[in-house]
Amino acid sequence: MNFLGFGQNADIEITLDDADKRKTAEIRVEENRKEKLLLYYDGEGVSGKIDIKLKKSGAKLEHHGIKVEFIGQIELYYDRGNHLEFTSLVKELAGPGDLTQSCSFTFDFPQVEKPYESYTGNNVKLRYFIRVVIARRMSDIVREQEIIVHTLSSYPDVNNSIKMEVGIEDCLHIEFEYNKSKYHLKDIIVGKIYFLLVRIKIKHMELAIIKRELSGSTPSLFQDSETIAKFEIMDGAPVKGESIPIRLFLAGYDIAPTMKDINKKFSVRYFLNLVLVDEEERRYFKQQEIILWRKGEKLRKGQPPPVTNAMQTYTATSTVRADPQEDASDEED
Amino acid sequence: MLVLVIGDFHIPFRASGLPAQFKKLLVPGKIQHIICTGNLCTKETLDYLRSLAGDVHVVRGDFDEGLNYPDQKVVTVGQFRIGLCHGHQIVPWGDVESLGSLQRQLDVDVLITGHTHHFESLNRDGKLFLNPGTATGAWTGLKTEVHPSFALLDIQSTTIVIYIYQLIGDEVKVEREEFRKPA
Amino acid sequence: MDEQEKLLEECMRNVKQESFQMKRCMDKDRLMDAIKHASTILMELRTSSLTPKNYYELFMGVCAELNHLQIFMLDEFAKGNRLTELYELVQYASNIIPRLYLLVTVGVVFIKSNENSRKDIMKDLVEMCRGVQHPLRGLFLRNYLLQETKHVLPDVADAPLASSDNGETNSVLTQSGTVFDSVDFILANFAEMNKLWVRMQHQGHSRDKVRRERERQELRLLVGTNLVRLSQLESIDIEKYSKHVLPGVLEQTVSCRDAIAQEYLMECVIQVFPDEFHLETLSTLLKACSELQPGLPPSLTLSPSFPLEDIVALEVALVNLALKCYPDRTDLVDQVLQNVDVIFQKQHVDEVPGDSAVCKELAKLLKIPLDHYQDILTVLQLPNYGKILAYLNFKPRKEISLYVAHNIVDHCTIISQQEQVEALLVMLTPLIEDHASFPVDPTDEEFVEEQTVVGKLIHFLKAEELDQQYLILGIARKFFGNGGIHRVCYTLPTILFAAYDLAYSYYLSEAEDPKWSKKCQKIFQFCHQTISVLAKLELFEVSVRLFLQGALAVSRTPFENNEQVAYEYMTQAFSIYEEEISDSKLQMMCVLLVIGTLEKIECFTEENHEPLRTQCALAAAKLLKKPDQCRALVAAANVFWSGKVRGGDAELRDTKRVMDCLKKALRVASQCMDNLVKIQLYVEVVDAYSLFQLRGVDQVTDETIVQMLQKIQEELPTLDVSDESVHINKYFQNSLDQLKKTKPELPF
Repeated sequence: MNFLGFGQNADIEITLDDADKRKTAEIRVEENRKEKLLLYYDGEGVSGKIDIKLKKSGAKLEHHGIKVEFIGQIELYYDRGNHLEFTSLVKELAGPGDLTQSCSFTFDFPQVEKPYESYTGNNVKLRYFIRVVIARRMSDIVREQEIIVHTLSSYPDVNNSIKMEVGIEDCLHIEFEYNKSKYHLKDIIVGKIYFLLVRIKIKHMELAIIKRELSGSTPSLFQDSETIAKFEIMDGAPVKGESIPIRLFLAGYDIAPTMKDINKKFSVRYFLNLVLVDEEERRYFKQQEIILWRKGEKLRKGQPPPVTNAMQTYTATSTVRADPQEDASDEED
Repeated sequence: MLVLVIGDFHIPFRASGLPAQFKKLLVPGKIQHIICTGNLCTKETLDYLRSLAGDVHVVRGDFDEGLNYPDQKVVTVGQFRIGLCHGHQIVPWGDVESLGSLQRQLDVDVLITGHTHHFESLNRDGKLFLNPGTATGAWTGLKTEVHPSFALLDIQSTTIVIYIYQLIGDEVKVEREEFRKPA
Repeated sequence: MDEQEKLLEECMRNVKQESFQMKRCMDKDRLMDAIKHASTILMELRTSSLTPKNYYELFMGVCAELNHLQIFMLDEFAKGNRLTELYELVQYASNIIPRLYLLVTVGVVFIKSNENSRKDIMKDLVEMCRGVQHPLRGLFLRNYLLQETKHVLPDVADAPLASSDNGETNSVLTQSGTVFDSVDFILANFAEMNKLWVRMQHQGHSRDKVRRERERQELRLLVGTNLVRLSQLESIDIEKYSKHVLPGVLEQTVSCRDAIAQEYLMECVIQVFPDEFHLETLSTLLKACSELQPGLPPSLTLSPSFPLEDIVALEVALVNLALKCYPDRTDLVDQVLQNVDVIFQKQHVDEVPGDSAVCKELAKLLKIPLDHYQDILTVLQLPNYGKILAYLNFKPRKEISLYVAHNIVDHCTIISQQEQVEALLVMLTPLIEDHASFPVDPTDEEFVEEQTVVGKLIHFLKAEELDQQYLILGIARKFFGNGGIHRVCYTLPTILFAAYDLAYSYYLSEAEDPKWSKKCQKIFQFCHQTISVLAKLELFEVSVRLFLQGALAVSRTPFENNEQVAYEYMTQAFSIYEEEISDSKLQMMCVLLVIGTLEKIECFTEENHEPLRTQCALAAAKLLKKPDQCRALVAAANVFWSGKVRGGDAELRDTKRVMDCLKKALRVASQCMDNLVKIQLYVEVVDAYSLFQLRGVDQVTDETIVQMLQKIQEELPTLDVSDESVHINKYFQNSLDQLKKTKPELPF
């Protein structure tokens, strides 16, 4: 509605090329809402078409120039007004003048560097978008179109298993092993827990995935922990000598790659938390960081993974030692 | 060429089965033809015969109900024409002169009949009249002592060697006779 | 209602509600949603509040629901939906109990749909179940695993090192697994279940020890089922048993160091595996026994609170053991049967459903004594055998009956006591009587086969004493007489022939039994009634034949008044023939049989013989078809010639009546319209004329014969050339040749 000149006289529509063919991905936009957006990778060009439609035919639109921008920005929630743009590309579409009728432009940002992955966290957001601005004297007409960027990694060169023996003296000794320390997002965490000594009455055991988001910098440093997954791996009380298999499919959870010190603004790290709960609801746990990374997907649509993939088990790399070492945290709820 | 001549089983009405001693003798693969005088009474016995040889000829006995066998049959084995009839239709039963009329009618060298439960083999004017008796020793109102019996014919060109198997007590007695087709 | 019942009821209610939702999703083909509801159902099994007995109830309820899901998934697979990712997807469930139950369910569906994954899936399932360390929940989870894999365990014994020309077959085999994989699988599951079971003992307060022990006893069958399953693998032979099965079982048994477990497991081992195996491994067994906890008392009772089929399966093993160790102690076998009876009564089982696993096990149990004793008499001595048989419903009961019947016939078991006969026939009721819900198809091959065996069996109902034999035949008729039209034709004739034979035996024992004559009369009265049963059922033709056979039997058994009895039998045959047989072919056959029979009977005085033979000639002349009349008249002529009356050794030789018959036959032949038939009959009649001439009927002159021959010779050329006319020519020529041999003087 055009009211006292504050309303907008024109609609801008951004259509990205190949929008119907390009893969999409989801991203969290609000607490419980997800949005599906077009997906891009680092180094890919971003091109498209812009349609400007005048709302009233015959009326002219006076402007100070039309431009299109490609922006990558980090938004820290505590500092709403201050967005950090780590990427900003601009193209002029038209110099100052008058628009007398609807018109279209094409644009192309070839081989755009997109160094980070799109991310929506609890205190921070990293996003990419195309912005079209019709500059005007009173208020610009602006239109943004967000895209999603995934950063792909290759298989890590070194990927040791995580193996550790923990315990509380004369009370509980366990050894656990996870097959890797670095997992891709569709990976399967396979492992085993050996019970070397059990003198407490365990009720159950679970494996949790904890996401820890660290944003800002001193003095405004924000830390946020979120339990992404809670996965029961044992029911009941084992006795000495039992070994319990672990098999956790990461594909079932909403996770992003580990991000370390993104533009000196934030980090996202993941931990596996092994929790034992005893009959008095005491919790014994041990956290281990794991690195998550995004694997380039081989396009093999229509051929689902063989069942054997879903049957991976962990075979021990070494025999279990009997001597206790290290401590397990004891946290009472 | 071995031809088994057997009949008047009357299973299950008058006998529970073929004597074990006979079963042991009758093994598949040795006999080429079976000529059966009837009164099998059930399909089971026919199936048994078929397990012994592929070529089985049966005529209808007075106790073959519901089974579709012919009353008479002529089978040619080698140089012999063999006529087959159960015999209850020929009065007086087992009378060789009356059977002679049937032999001439069928124009056969050998006429095989049953019904009397009495083994018989007779060369009459160059024709062989053979009755294999009852394979199971089945009851008959015609005689009081019945022995299980059957015959095996070894047919070689114009000669038939007849082996007669009879179960007397627990023992199988075998007799041998010879029949030559007149030139 | 106590606390437990309330809890159970609530759980069951939740299961029902979710099940309703699950089935709705299935109806709408929404598999993933159905799985979610199944997962919620399974959450109920996480409870810690139920006693083992009630947990079992709940478990059974949940299993029934999972079964629906499994069937649905199998259908999906059958439709071609491969659902490969399903095995992964169910593992997303965050609670371990629902996750593992679903994994087992899906795993078994995969195996059933494609055997190639079988080996891997079996390994994976048995390993993943380690996650449940809670004794009760773990035992039931693994019980579910064992129960669901029951019919998919590989049972082929390919030696792992066997070289094969066809590499492909081999690799398929390695993926689908061999019996060795099954053994590994069951042994692993067994070891884990046993550990869980033993662990129950050490849970909770020591004051609950007694209750815990009781609960453990209730659960032990779950552990034992592993051993039953091992024993059911058919490709396990003695060698595999001693190398691969027994060591694993014994190792677990010894190492668990728990007296209750050891006692039970050793018993199980001995019961479920065949004794040949035990003989072979005796030293190993004894060594293991020496390592057990001290003071184990032997015991032979089984807990009644678990799946009936498994209880019965263990009873099967027990019977086998009893038979091997104490072949003469029928009381032990009966004891086991009684155990089953008691268990069934306790569980209020009245009838076992026909296709159930219990039914199969029960049938197995009932066959063992038959197979072992090979003697129905011993089985009839088991008071509880019949009771157990009665639990089966009609079809399986009939199967056992048939097995019994075959057993008797195959082993020629003579049943000589009245009580035995009665007990046996009660047992065989499904073969003897019609059952309202299972109508009989008389043309059905199975039915024919079954009744043939029943008929054969009657030959083995045989007492040494003649009086006893008579009573036995009476019992047999009482039972078989109710068999209905399709059965009596197999059984009653058999009883009759046995009775005819019995009468003759009485005659042979004439010297020892002064009452033999009266008894024979009674027997033939019995036979008369028996044939009348058949006649009432409108089995007319067979009735005629049996009356005629009876007349022959009476004739040769010279008891007092036998002539009157024979006369009665002959007249019965006549009247049934005249009143009831309408098919012309059957009429002809009956007339020939009557004539043939009368020709052989020698017990009639002239007074009775005369009307009968006249009747024969009349009946012959009254046949519908001319050729039949002609031939029957020729046959009837014989009765007037060689028929015999009582007292006189000589034949009747009534030349006048012979000639009447022959002339009439000739006249009837001449009345035939069809030339072929007419000439055929002429030749037959000429044959008869010359035969009677030879026999001495001097009314037949050479002239008559020559006239007839001329007539035939004139008519023969008028026949069209056909196979038949060639035949008749040949026949005529043969007859002529024959005639020339006896009468060379004739001008032919």
